[in-house]
Amino acid sequence: MCSRCTEPAVVYQRNVDRHLCGVHFTADIERRVADRVKTRRMIVPGDRVAVALSGGKDSTALLLLLSQLFPVGQDVQLVAITIDEGIAGYREATVHAAEHHASRLGIEHHCISFPDLFGNSLDVFLEGRETQACSICGILRRKALAVAARGTGATKLATGHNLDDEAQSVLMNVFRGDLPRLIRNSGVDSSGKFIPRIKPLSLISEKEIATYLILKNAWNILPECPYTRFALRREVRSMLSGFEYKHPGTMLHLMESKEKIEHSCACSEVSAPLRTCRTCGDPSSGDLCQVCLLLQSLGR
Amino acid sequence: MKLILSDRDERIIVHSPAPVEQVLLEAGINPLEVVVSRNGNLISEDTIVESEDVIRVIRIAHGG
Repeated sequence: MCSRCTEPAVVYQRNVDRHLCGVHFTADIERRVADRVKTRRMIVPGDRVAVALSGGKDSTALLLLLSQLFPVGQDVQLVAITIDEGIAGYREATVHAAEHHASRLGIEHHCISFPDLFGNSLDVFLEGRETQACSICGILRRKALAVAARGTGATKLATGHNLDDEAQSVLMNVFRGDLPRLIRNSGVDSSGKFIPRIKPLSLISEKEIATYLILKNAWNILPECPYTRFALRREVRSMLSGFEYKHPGTMLHLMESKEKIEHSCACSEVSAPLRTCRTCGDPSSGDLCQVCLLLQSLGR
Repeated sequence: MKLILSDRDERIIVHSPAPVEQVLLEAGINPLEVVVSRNGNLISEDTIVESEDVIRVIRIAHGG
Protein backbone atom coordinates (compact mmCIF):
# COMPACT_ATOMS: atom_id res chain seq x y z
CA MET A 1 0.00 0.00 0.00
CA CYS A 2 1.21 3.53 -0.85
CA SER A 3 2.57 5.48 2.13
CA ARG A 4 0.59 8.55 0.96
CA CYS A 5 -2.76 7.09 -0.16
CA THR A 6 -4.68 3.83 -0.30
CA GLU A 7 -3.59 2.74 -3.80
CA PRO A 8 -1.35 -0.32 -4.29
CA ALA A 9 2.38 0.45 -4.20
CA VAL A 10 4.40 0.07 -7.40
CA VAL A 11 7.77 0.75 -5.74
CA TYR A 12 9.45 0.39 -2.40
CA GLN A 13 12.14 3.04 -1.85
CA ARG A 14 14.51 1.16 0.41
CA ASN A 15 16.76 4.02 1.49
CA VAL A 16 13.80 6.02 2.88
CA ASP A 17 11.63 3.00 3.78
CA ARG A 18 8.66 4.25 1.73
CA HIS A 19 6.08 2.66 -0.58
CA LEU A 20 4.60 4.72 -3.41
CA CYS A 21 1.77 4.17 -5.90
CA GLY A 22 2.16 5.13 -9.57
CA VAL A 23 0.80 8.66 -9.14
CA HIS A 24 2.88 9.50 -6.08
CA PHE A 25 6.00 7.86 -7.50
CA THR A 26 5.92 9.86 -10.76
CA ALA A 27 5.28 13.04 -8.75
CA ASP A 28 8.24 12.18 -6.50
CA ILE A 29 10.59 11.71 -9.49
CA GLU A 30 9.42 14.94 -11.12
CA ARG A 31 9.90 16.88 -7.86
CA ARG A 32 13.39 15.47 -7.23
CA VAL A 33 14.57 16.29 -10.76
CA ALA A 34 13.08 19.80 -10.57
CA ASP A 35 14.80 20.35 -7.18
CA ARG A 36 18.13 19.14 -8.53
CA VAL A 37 17.92 21.42 -11.58
CA LYS A 38 16.93 24.39 -9.42
CA THR A 39 19.30 24.01 -6.46
CA ARG A 40 22.30 23.38 -8.72
CA ARG A 41 21.20 26.19 -11.06
CA MET A 42 21.64 23.76 -13.95
CA ILE A 43 19.23 25.65 -16.20
CA VAL A 44 18.47 29.37 -16.00
CA PRO A 45 16.11 31.63 -17.98
CA GLY A 46 17.41 32.27 -21.48
CA ASP A 47 19.20 28.91 -21.73
CA ARG A 48 18.98 26.82 -24.87
CA VAL A 49 19.50 23.26 -23.67
CA ALA A 50 20.73 20.53 -26.01
CA VAL A 51 19.44 17.22 -24.66
CA ALA A 52 21.62 14.26 -25.66
CA LEU A 53 18.96 11.83 -26.84
CA SER A 54 20.21 8.35 -27.71
CA GLY A 55 16.68 6.98 -27.71
CA GLY A 56 17.49 4.68 -24.76
CA LYS A 57 15.68 4.83 -21.45
CA ASP A 58 17.76 7.43 -19.60
CA SER A 59 17.81 10.07 -22.31
CA THR A 60 14.13 9.47 -23.08
CA ALA A 61 13.25 10.02 -19.42
CA LEU A 62 15.45 13.13 -19.36
CA LEU A 63 13.71 14.63 -22.39
CA LEU A 64 10.29 13.81 -20.96
CA LEU A 65 11.10 15.35 -17.56
CA LEU A 66 12.74 18.49 -18.97
CA SER A 67 9.91 19.02 -21.44
CA GLN A 68 7.47 19.01 -18.52
CA LEU A 69 9.67 21.34 -16.52
CA PHE A 70 10.20 23.73 -19.45
CA PRO A 71 7.17 23.57 -21.78
CA VAL A 72 7.50 24.87 -25.34
CA GLY A 73 7.11 28.65 -25.54
CA GLN A 74 8.77 29.46 -22.20
CA ASP A 75 12.07 31.24 -21.66
CA VAL A 76 14.08 28.01 -21.79
CA GLN A 77 14.38 26.20 -25.13
CA LEU A 78 15.05 22.49 -25.54
CA VAL A 79 16.60 20.87 -28.58
CA ALA A 80 17.33 17.14 -28.87
CA ILE A 81 20.56 15.87 -30.41
CA THR A 82 21.28 12.28 -31.38
CA ILE A 83 24.64 10.77 -32.26
CA ASP A 84 24.56 7.88 -34.71
CA GLU A 85 27.89 6.14 -34.15
CA GLY A 86 27.22 3.55 -36.83
CA ILE A 87 26.68 0.36 -34.82
CA ALA A 88 24.93 -2.13 -37.06
CA GLY A 89 21.94 -3.93 -35.61
CA TYR A 90 21.73 -1.58 -32.64
CA ARG A 91 21.75 2.11 -33.33
CA GLU A 92 19.10 2.09 -36.09
CA ALA A 93 16.38 1.16 -33.60
CA THR A 94 17.44 3.70 -30.96
CA VAL A 95 17.76 6.52 -33.52
CA HIS A 96 14.24 5.70 -34.66
CA ALA A 97 13.04 5.75 -31.03
CA ALA A 98 14.76 9.13 -30.51
CA GLU A 99 13.01 10.61 -33.56
CA HIS A 100 9.71 9.28 -32.30
CA HIS A 101 10.07 10.72 -28.77
CA ALA A 102 11.27 14.15 -29.95
CA SER A 103 8.46 14.39 -32.50
CA ARG A 104 5.82 13.29 -29.96
CA LEU A 105 6.97 16.03 -27.57
CA GLY A 106 7.23 18.65 -30.34
CA ILE A 107 10.96 19.19 -29.72
CA GLU A 108 13.42 20.20 -32.43
CA HIS A 109 15.69 17.25 -33.20
CA HIS A 110 19.09 16.94 -34.91
CA CYS A 111 21.05 13.79 -35.71
CA ILE A 112 24.76 13.71 -36.48
CA SER A 113 26.76 10.62 -37.47
CA PHE A 114 30.34 9.44 -36.95
CA PRO A 115 30.86 9.10 -40.73
CA ASP A 116 29.80 12.76 -41.13
CA LEU A 117 32.21 13.90 -38.44
CA PHE A 118 35.07 11.42 -38.43
CA GLY A 119 34.84 9.76 -41.85
CA ASN A 120 33.91 6.26 -40.68
CA SER A 121 31.41 4.39 -38.57
CA LEU A 122 32.34 3.05 -35.12
CA ASP A 123 32.04 -0.48 -36.48
CA VAL A 124 34.81 0.27 -39.00
CA PHE A 125 37.01 2.02 -36.43
CA LEU A 126 36.69 -0.96 -34.10
CA GLU A 127 37.72 -3.70 -36.52
CA GLY A 128 40.35 -5.64 -34.54
CA ARG A 129 40.00 -3.28 -31.56
CA GLU A 130 36.67 -4.45 -30.15
CA THR A 131 37.99 -4.70 -26.60
CA GLN A 132 38.64 -0.92 -26.62
CA ALA A 133 35.13 -0.17 -27.87
CA CYS A 134 33.84 1.85 -24.93
CA SER A 135 36.90 4.07 -24.53
CA ILE A 136 37.11 4.78 -28.29
CA CYS A 137 33.36 5.38 -28.56
CA GLY A 138 33.37 7.52 -25.40
CA ILE A 139 36.06 9.90 -26.71
CA LEU A 140 34.44 10.27 -30.15
CA ARG A 141 30.90 10.54 -28.81
CA ARG A 142 31.91 13.25 -26.35
CA LYS A 143 33.35 15.29 -29.23
CA ALA A 144 30.31 14.57 -31.42
CA LEU A 145 27.96 15.79 -28.69
CA ALA A 146 29.97 18.99 -28.25
CA VAL A 147 29.96 19.66 -32.01
CA ALA A 148 26.24 18.92 -32.30
CA ALA A 149 25.41 21.09 -29.27
CA ARG A 150 27.50 23.98 -30.62
CA GLY A 151 25.78 23.59 -33.99
CA THR A 152 22.39 24.15 -32.42
CA GLY A 153 23.50 27.24 -30.51
CA ALA A 154 23.06 25.51 -27.14
CA THR A 155 24.20 27.10 -23.89
CA LYS A 156 23.97 23.83 -21.91
CA LEU A 157 24.33 20.17 -22.80
CA ALA A 158 22.11 17.84 -20.75
CA THR A 159 22.86 14.12 -20.53
CA GLY A 160 20.81 11.30 -19.02
CA HIS A 161 23.45 9.90 -16.66
CA ASN A 162 21.66 8.32 -13.71
CA LEU A 163 22.77 7.51 -10.16
CA ASP A 164 24.00 4.04 -11.15
CA ASP A 165 26.10 5.47 -14.04
CA GLU A 166 27.60 8.16 -11.85
CA ALA A 167 28.43 5.82 -8.96
CA GLN A 168 29.99 3.35 -11.43
CA SER A 169 32.13 6.16 -12.86
CA VAL A 170 33.37 7.13 -9.39
CA LEU A 171 34.42 3.56 -8.72
CA MET A 172 36.00 3.08 -12.17
CA ASN A 173 38.05 6.27 -11.77
CA VAL A 174 39.21 5.09 -8.34
CA PHE A 175 40.14 1.68 -9.78
CA ARG A 176 42.17 3.44 -12.48
CA GLY A 177 43.73 5.88 -10.00
CA ASP A 178 42.50 8.71 -12.23
CA LEU A 179 42.10 11.62 -9.79
CA PRO A 180 41.74 14.38 -12.45
CA ARG A 181 38.81 12.57 -14.02
CA LEU A 182 37.31 11.69 -10.63
CA ILE A 183 37.04 15.36 -9.65
CA ARG A 184 36.34 16.81 -13.11
CA ASN A 185 33.27 19.02 -12.94
CA SER A 186 32.05 19.53 -16.50
CA GLY A 187 28.99 21.40 -15.25
CA VAL A 188 30.99 24.58 -14.83
CA ASP A 189 33.12 26.30 -17.44
CA SER A 190 35.27 29.16 -16.29
CA SER A 191 37.37 29.06 -19.48
CA GLY A 192 34.52 29.85 -21.88
CA LYS A 193 35.73 27.01 -24.13
CA PHE A 194 33.14 24.35 -23.31
CA ILE A 195 29.38 24.14 -23.24
CA PRO A 196 28.63 23.21 -19.60
CA ARG A 197 27.25 19.68 -19.26
CA ILE A 198 24.45 19.03 -16.82
CA LYS A 199 23.12 15.75 -15.42
CA PRO A 200 19.65 16.33 -13.96
CA LEU A 201 19.07 12.58 -13.33
CA SER A 202 22.28 11.98 -11.41
CA LEU A 203 20.46 11.18 -8.14
CA ILE A 204 17.74 9.01 -9.73
CA SER A 205 18.47 5.28 -9.88
CA GLU A 206 18.31 3.24 -13.06
CA LYS A 207 15.43 1.21 -11.62
CA GLU A 208 13.47 4.37 -10.80
CA ILE A 209 13.98 5.65 -14.36
CA ALA A 210 12.73 2.39 -15.87
CA THR A 211 9.72 2.40 -13.53
CA TYR A 212 8.95 6.03 -14.41
CA LEU A 213 9.03 5.30 -18.16
CA ILE A 214 6.79 2.26 -17.81
CA LEU A 215 4.28 4.31 -15.83
CA LYS A 216 4.45 7.06 -18.49
CA ASN A 217 3.92 4.52 -21.33
CA ALA A 218 7.28 5.51 -22.79
CA TRP A 219 9.19 2.26 -22.20
CA ASN A 220 10.63 0.62 -25.31
CA ILE A 221 12.38 -2.70 -25.48
CA LEU A 222 15.49 -1.91 -27.51
CA PRO A 223 18.52 -3.98 -28.49
CA GLU A 224 21.60 -3.82 -26.30
CA CYS A 225 24.83 -2.34 -27.66
CA PRO A 226 26.87 -5.30 -29.00
CA TYR A 227 30.07 -3.85 -27.55
CA THR A 228 28.93 -3.73 -23.90
CA ARG A 229 30.25 -7.25 -23.37
CA PHE A 230 33.78 -5.84 -23.60
CA ALA A 231 33.15 -3.08 -21.07
CA LEU A 232 34.74 -2.76 -17.64
CA ARG A 233 31.59 -0.84 -16.72
CA ARG A 234 29.53 -4.00 -17.12
CA GLU A 235 31.54 -5.75 -14.40
CA VAL A 236 31.44 -2.69 -12.15
CA ARG A 237 27.68 -2.32 -12.70
CA SER A 238 27.01 -5.87 -11.58
CA MET A 239 29.30 -5.62 -8.56
CA LEU A 240 27.94 -2.25 -7.44
CA SER A 241 24.36 -3.31 -7.92
CA GLY A 242 25.05 -6.30 -5.63
CA PHE A 243 26.53 -3.97 -3.01
CA GLU A 244 23.60 -1.57 -3.27
CA TYR A 245 21.18 -4.44 -2.73
CA LYS A 246 23.00 -5.66 0.38
CA HIS A 247 23.87 -2.18 1.67
CA PRO A 248 21.22 0.34 0.54
CA GLY A 249 22.67 3.83 0.04
CA THR A 250 26.07 2.65 -1.27
CA MET A 251 25.69 4.52 -4.56
CA LEU A 252 24.64 7.76 -2.88
CA HIS A 253 27.57 7.43 -0.46
CA LEU A 254 29.95 7.09 -3.41
CA MET A 255 28.53 10.29 -4.90
CA GLU A 256 28.93 12.07 -1.56
CA SER A 257 32.53 10.87 -1.33
CA LYS A 258 33.23 12.20 -4.82
CA GLU A 259 31.81 15.60 -3.90
CA LYS A 260 33.91 15.74 -0.72
CA ILE A 261 37.08 14.86 -2.66
CA GLU A 262 36.13 17.42 -5.33
CA HIS A 263 35.71 20.05 -2.61
CA SER A 264 39.02 19.16 -0.94
CA CYS A 265 40.85 19.40 -4.28
CA ALA A 266 39.18 22.65 -5.35
CA CYS A 267 42.33 24.74 -4.90
CA SER A 268 44.83 22.08 -5.93
CA GLU A 269 46.46 21.65 -9.34
CA VAL A 270 45.58 18.05 -10.16
CA SER A 271 45.06 18.53 -13.92
CA ALA A 272 47.45 20.00 -16.45
CA PRO A 273 46.54 23.58 -17.45
CA LEU A 274 44.38 23.87 -20.58
CA ARG A 275 46.13 24.29 -23.91
CA THR A 276 44.90 24.31 -27.50
CA CYS A 277 45.09 21.25 -29.76
CA ARG A 278 47.43 22.07 -32.63
CA THR A 279 45.33 20.07 -35.11
CA CYS A 280 41.71 20.99 -34.38
CA GLY A 281 42.04 23.99 -32.05
CA ASP A 282 39.89 22.46 -29.31
CA PRO A 283 40.90 22.79 -25.65
CA SER A 284 43.39 20.12 -24.70
CA SER A 285 45.66 19.12 -21.84
CA GLY A 286 48.46 18.26 -24.28
CA ASP A 287 49.80 19.23 -27.70
CA LEU A 288 47.03 17.17 -29.31
CA CYS A 289 43.56 16.60 -27.89
CA GLN A 290 42.32 13.08 -27.10
CA VAL A 291 40.20 12.97 -30.26
CA CYS A 292 43.01 13.94 -32.62
CA LEU A 293 45.39 11.52 -30.89
CA LEU A 294 42.82 8.76 -31.24
CA LEU A 295 42.01 9.52 -34.89
CA GLN A 296 45.74 9.51 -35.64
CA SER A 297 46.10 6.07 -34.04
CA LEU A 298 43.06 4.84 -36.00
CA GLY A 299 44.77 5.91 -39.22
CA ARG A 300 42.59 8.93 -39.98
CA MET B 1 3.39 -19.36 -10.69
CA LYS B 2 4.52 -18.42 -14.16
CA LEU B 3 7.71 -16.36 -14.26
CA ILE B 4 8.20 -14.60 -17.61
CA LEU B 5 11.72 -13.29 -18.16
CA SER B 6 12.22 -10.49 -20.63
CA ASP B 7 14.13 -12.65 -23.08
CA ARG B 8 10.91 -14.61 -23.65
CA ASP B 9 12.17 -17.32 -21.35
CA GLU B 10 9.18 -18.59 -19.35
CA ARG B 11 9.46 -20.72 -16.23
CA ILE B 12 6.72 -22.39 -14.26
CA ILE B 13 7.79 -22.50 -10.64
CA VAL B 14 6.06 -24.09 -7.71
CA HIS B 15 6.17 -21.73 -4.80
CA SER B 16 4.16 -21.05 -1.70
CA PRO B 17 3.14 -17.41 -1.28
CA ALA B 18 6.32 -15.34 -0.94
CA PRO B 19 7.64 -11.79 -1.48
CA VAL B 20 8.56 -11.26 -5.14
CA GLU B 21 12.05 -10.29 -3.93
CA GLN B 22 12.55 -13.84 -2.62
CA VAL B 23 11.30 -15.39 -5.89
CA LEU B 24 13.78 -13.23 -7.84
CA LEU B 25 16.71 -14.07 -5.58
CA GLU B 26 15.95 -17.78 -5.89
CA ALA B 27 15.98 -17.35 -9.68
CA GLY B 28 19.43 -15.69 -9.42
CA ILE B 29 18.17 -12.18 -10.22
CA ASN B 30 19.20 -9.04 -8.30
CA PRO B 31 15.88 -7.23 -7.59
CA LEU B 32 17.59 -3.88 -8.27
CA GLU B 33 18.28 -4.86 -11.89
CA VAL B 34 14.67 -5.56 -12.84
CA VAL B 35 11.17 -4.16 -12.65
CA VAL B 36 8.38 -6.64 -11.99
CA SER B 37 4.74 -6.69 -12.96
CA ARG B 38 1.99 -9.07 -11.80
CA ASN B 39 -0.91 -9.69 -14.10
CA GLY B 40 0.06 -6.52 -15.99
CA ASN B 41 0.50 -4.17 -13.02
CA LEU B 42 3.83 -3.01 -11.57
CA ILE B 43 4.48 -4.29 -8.05
CA SER B 44 7.00 -3.46 -5.34
CA GLU B 45 9.67 -5.96 -4.27
CA ASP B 46 7.95 -6.84 -1.02
CA THR B 47 4.60 -7.71 -2.62
CA ILE B 48 3.53 -11.27 -1.79
CA VAL B 49 2.96 -13.31 -4.95
CA GLU B 50 0.72 -16.35 -5.10
CA SER B 51 0.92 -19.62 -7.00
CA GLU B 52 -1.64 -18.57 -9.65
CA ASP B 53 0.13 -15.27 -10.46
CA VAL B 54 1.84 -14.44 -13.74
CA ILE B 55 5.02 -12.50 -12.96
CA ARG B 56 6.81 -10.60 -15.73
CA VAL B 57 10.44 -9.64 -15.11
CA ILE B 58 11.71 -6.66 -17.10
CA ARG B 59 15.50 -6.25 -17.18
CA ILE B 60 16.47 -2.60 -17.04
CA ALA B 61 20.20 -2.47 -17.76
CA HIS B 62 20.84 -1.24 -21.26
CA GLY B 63 24.12 -0.13 -22.76
CA GLY B 64 24.13 2.94 -24.91
